[in-house]
Amino acid sequence: MSARTFTERDIHLALDGELPEDERAAFQAWLDANPDMKAKSLRYSADQFALRNAFAGVLDEEVPSRLTAVVNGEAPPRRKPILQWWRMAAAAALLATVGLGGFLLGTGNLGFAAHDDDRVAEDALAAHVTYIADAAHPVEVSGENPDYLMGWLSKRTGLKLVAPDLAASGFKLVGGRVLPAKHGTAALMLYEDAQGERISVYVTAEGGARSRGTYGPEDGGARAVYWLDQGYACAIVGDLPQERLSAVARDAYKQLLAGAGIVRS
Amino acid sequence: MDEKKAAILAEIPRLRRYARALLRDRDAADDLVQDSLERALVRMDNWRTGESPRRWLFTIMHHLFIDQVRKVARRGEAALLPLDTSEALSTPAMQAESMASREIIDALQAISPDRRAALVLVAIEGFSYAEAATMLGVPAGTLMSRIARGREELRALLDDQTRRRTIRIVEK
Repeated sequence: MSARTFTERDIHLALDGELPEDERAAFQAWLDANPDMKAKSLRYSADQFALRNAFAGVLDEEVPSRLTAVVNGEAPPRRKPILQWWRMAAAAALLATVGLGGFLLGTGNLGFAAHDDDRVAEDALAAHVTYIADAAHPVEVSGENPDYLMGWLSKRTGLKLVAPDLAASGFKLVGGRVLPAKHGTAALMLYEDAQGERISVYVTAEGGARSRGTYGPEDGGARAVYWLDQGYACAIVGDLPQERLSAVARDAYKQLLAGAGIVRS
Repeated sequence: MDEKKAAILAEIPRLRRYARALLRDRDAADDLVQDSLERALVRMDNWRTGESPRRWLFTIMHHLFIDQVRKVARRGEAALLPLDTSEALSTPAMQAESMASREIIDALQAISPDRRAALVLVAIEGFSYAEAATMLGVPAGTLMSRIARGREELRALLDDQTRRRTIRIVEK
């Protein structure tokens, strides 16, 4: 066959189905002989898959009636101020600049939207790691008088707070403290079980975002199970098996909502 | 005429997907689709018999997108945006996205509009290089380099993200 030499360019051609049929075998052999290029090819191919996957759901969405109305010559329902998407395009362009700049400077993840849920989870994790390790002074105010503690935490955070009763999971309230947070103040409640295992419940006021999930280091250690909803952000942090942590977290979250008089939709 | 309309209607889901990949925000993307459809209907005569409705509509939409990106950039309107562009871009679209999807969608938004469009047309929409180059109105070589650069940028951004070594499972 041809004695053509391949380059990185061919990785893109192959991925996009643009490599001539009769060159594919030689290309594959070239990849096998060049582990770097093969690794690159695999990464790009995985990204390609992830990209398609990320937008596949759009095809199954119901088409908004205003779009079909345009084609059918019916008066389309009024929409929000004209050409709002210009602004989105501009925002995207701005992100493109900031994002790559941030990447090149090595300043971390500026290219990515700093999601509220990540920030809350990170703050809760940091608070947990900082204070549970402190054997002598884990809390500012002890949980011996829960009414006093919760009155204080509620007042400081401006949220209606109750300390969840986690006795069913074996955890007893140790006490709490207040912490700085993006939107003012956060409350941290610390719990301990009979084995001395500590978990913390972190609550703060948050904007309108709605999200829930688990966040933590990939290589083990404490994780945060969090919720953002109804103007509250709440994270339950602990180094427990995922199942147990989730169960405790759900229990705590339910009680926090009930205590605040919020009926979960 | 009705045949043509039916052909256009059938392309709406694909147009919406392309718009979503370009703009991320669902309402903004549908606004772009609506503008494109309105323009298409006015220019129905320009649609040559035998020409694929998909390519015709995608071309219209792409020009609308890129013209406005440039216009906005020239006028410096980006400066008027709320500082928290991340919020503007990401809130409404978030619901059904898995974490992996969210990361790659964020990364895609962070690459330049020209590269994003080229990559999306070929990698997501499955157009050939020749088709995509025609739609974007650039030589094949330019298209190729945009795709290659786009992929590199995307990967670099994702690597950057991975370096944080965290797991994130967002449930919905």
